[in-house]
Amino acid sequence: MALAISTTALAQEKTGAKAGFTLKPGTVRIILMRPAISVGSQSTGGMREPNADWTNQAIENLTAALKRTQGKLGNEVALYDEGVSGEGALTSQYANLFGAVSNSVIEYQFFAGNRLPTKKRSKEFDWGVGPGLSQLKSLEGADYALFIHTRDDYGSTGRKMLQIVGLLAGVGVTSGIHQGDAGLVDLKTGELVWLNADRAMGGDVRTPEGAEKRVAQLLEGFPGKPVDPAAPGAKK
Amino acid sequence: MKKITALIAVTSILSCEPALAGNSLVSPTAQTGIAKSSLSATPDGEWNRLGRRDGKFVELWTKDGDSLNKVSFFGGVPVGEALFKEVDKKNRPLPKVSDGMLITDIPTLLESSYRIQFDVRTMTIESQEPATLGGHPGLRFAYTFVSGNDEVERKGEAFGAVVKGKLYLVSYEAPSIYFFDKDLPAFRHLASTLKM
Amino acid sequence: MRKRLLAAVALVAATAGVKAADLLPPFTVGYEPTNVDERGLWMDSDNRERQIRDSKLTVHDEELNRYLTGVLCRTVGAERCRGVRIYVMQVPAFNASMSPNGMMEVWTGLLLRVQSEAELATILGHEFAHFELRHSLDGFKQQRRSTNAGAWLAVLGGLSNTNTSGLQLSVIASSFKYNRDQEQAADLLGFRYLAAAGYPTSAAPDVWRHVMAEQDATAVGHGRRPKPEYQDGFFNTHPASARRAIYLEAESKKIGDTGKDDGAARLRAAIAPHLPEWLDAQVKLNDFGGTEYILEQLAGNGWSGDLLYARGELYRLRGNPRDLATSIDFYKGAIAAGYRQPQVQRNLGMALLRSGRPADGKSALGEYLRLLPGANDAKAIQALMAN
Repeated sequence: MALAISTTALAQEKTGAKAGFTLKPGTVRIILMRPAISVGSQSTGGMREPNADWTNQAIENLTAALKRTQGKLGNEVALYDEGVSGEGALTSQYANLFGAVSNSVIEYQFFAGNRLPTKKRSKEFDWGVGPGLSQLKSLEGADYALFIHTRDDYGSTGRKMLQIVGLLAGVGVTSGIHQGDAGLVDLKTGELVWLNADRAMGGDVRTPEGAEKRVAQLLEGFPGKPVDPAAPGAKK
Repeated sequence: MKKITALIAVTSILSCEPALAGNSLVSPTAQTGIAKSSLSATPDGEWNRLGRRDGKFVELWTKDGDSLNKVSFFGGVPVGEALFKEVDKKNRPLPKVSDGMLITDIPTLLESSYRIQFDVRTMTIESQEPATLGGHPGLRFAYTFVSGNDEVERKGEAFGAVVKGKLYLVSYEAPSIYFFDKDLPAFRHLASTLKM
Repeated sequence: MRKRLLAAVALVAATAGVKAADLLPPFTVGYEPTNVDERGLWMDSDNRERQIRDSKLTVHDEELNRYLTGVLCRTVGAERCRGVRIYVMQVPAFNASMSPNGMMEVWTGLLLRVQSEAELATILGHEFAHFELRHSLDGFKQQRRSTNAGAWLAVLGGLSNTNTSGLQLSVIASSFKYNRDQEQAADLLGFRYLAAAGYPTSAAPDVWRHVMAEQDATAVGHGRRPKPEYQDGFFNTHPASARRAIYLEAESKKIGDTGKDDGAARLRAAIAPHLPEWLDAQVKLNDFGGTEYILEQLAGNGWSGDLLYARGELYRLRGNPRDLATSIDFYKGAIAAGYRQPQVQRNLGMALLRSGRPADGKSALGEYLRLLPGANDAKAIQALMAN
């Protein structure tokens, strides 16, 4: 699901975490579920052009950056491998379910005006996909599953020009889409112990430095992660 | 600009809900006038009542958000009316409550409405048995379905009855994985307290 | 684009008397995308293929897939069909498409609507033609050019306070017209496959006649007048069905191949295991006119039990008093035609009860329970009988 938004109107970066949850370095194994990474460009007219080269670069860079980041904590990150388990369809169902959960978090917790009263009490972050995930053979031996979605459509030069001209004319034009969700699920309990859902992300994921920055943003507030020294131009 | 975005194939979809201040707390006390009807119920825990109206006769409750768990109250849909506000009355009209419909017609009405309105592609009615709804003879039925919107498989359980020519229906729906079982006891308790 | 179209038509006409193998353009095996745009679309398609493979809404039926692949291979030839993967998607509407990476999607609603193997071959061939002509990419590029211009116009309009709406529409119109030409090119190349494969080419115009007739029937069923003409609508990305039927009819007459086997029986046999489910999904769409039309077409070779049962359901679900009486006749007709599923007794019983015939109704319901004692709605049916 993609949002074409004017940056003022709707949700900015938002993070939620299970109260009191911490992660000790070097103690857990995390499986990075098949990340949904998509990079394209947005033409002047707003049409999306998927770009294989950019997406492949992004997958490579983001995956490497993820490994490096987790490597700093001393925790092991392995890529999801269906192998011969035949669990592709079930994993797909869990990925769809995670999507429904994170959309619910955004719609009914992160949006101030639309909060569910039962979830309004401060510090409460009570979301999950259930303990069934722990039964998957393809996830055996792991403690957490990390779900990542990123979607980047770079505004073309024409689009950026249009944005500037549009501002002058009083016509709202968005340029580019840069969004991401990162969610950590405890495989024993299925609890979503941490979610970062950002609809206005930075970092050019086609480059190693940009991917590094994006991963830093995606994993900002990640439980137990030591605070990084701010990278140049890092988004807060 | 609006005209352009309507005509050009923009692949981004504006799906943000406007910031409604309409979601209210349902406390574990007697709730009356549900769905602006004679329905009342007493939950054993807290729920949230959604400000969003899916139709003249519908009220929605949820714990975690309607895509994760949803109790729908249909309060006395009269003959000739559909369950929901139609999205495209001209080309995709919904089936209507019909005169003299039997209790076993209720699941079919729901299924047909879901296939048309919510792009449900597969739906199975798993069981049907007589039950009372607010003291009136009706039907209890269970079902499974998948919508093309998010492809998440969901289960449902519902109680329905036709009283004085109007359809009353209370359903609970949630993803098959984890969510359905989670709040089923709360729904069943709620259903047991329903009055009309 | 017109020149290319005329050339294609001329080519078809000129080759009418030539050997089948000479009818088709040479095909480059193992096409790989080269430039950045093409790889983008291929990659998108790969992700989609994985999603489709794992989706709950994909029909996994090896035999059905074997049949469809067989029809495709007969239509476009073994060289072309090698490596193509066909997926059947659970969607109750008429559509099929092909991705640049060789993946074809066919909707269940299409399999319900084609009247013969030749009509199915028309569609599969048409979609393969888009693939062979690499239209996905071309259309994409052209749309991009048009939408850029359209967006600029809107902004310029805003700046100068001018109404640019007329300009906007013409720019957008040219973008859509390009797609219509592509559809026509695919129609004509697909037609050549059909002829080369030995299918009766009358199937090609027939497909579009059915589409129009169903649309008309749907409109009438909803109390609207059918469209008086099927002109190329402004935003119509497919050549109007009528125009399609006309030019394909003309091509078919040139070939003059009436009397060939259209494989209707083979198609019916292939979809028979799924027919009840797909009819049920169609009936529940509350499209009385369109569904009636589909049933009448399927009954061209006689009203089978499945079709009569579905017709009974259609009338019963519309549920006017006369409809209930009609549905009773259809259910009885289904039983007489050999329909053996217990549910016919159940739904017949319900129609009888609602028609003020409680004794007959209870008798039918009782028969249902006798045939299916473990029915998952047995208790509910017993409650109906107890009233």
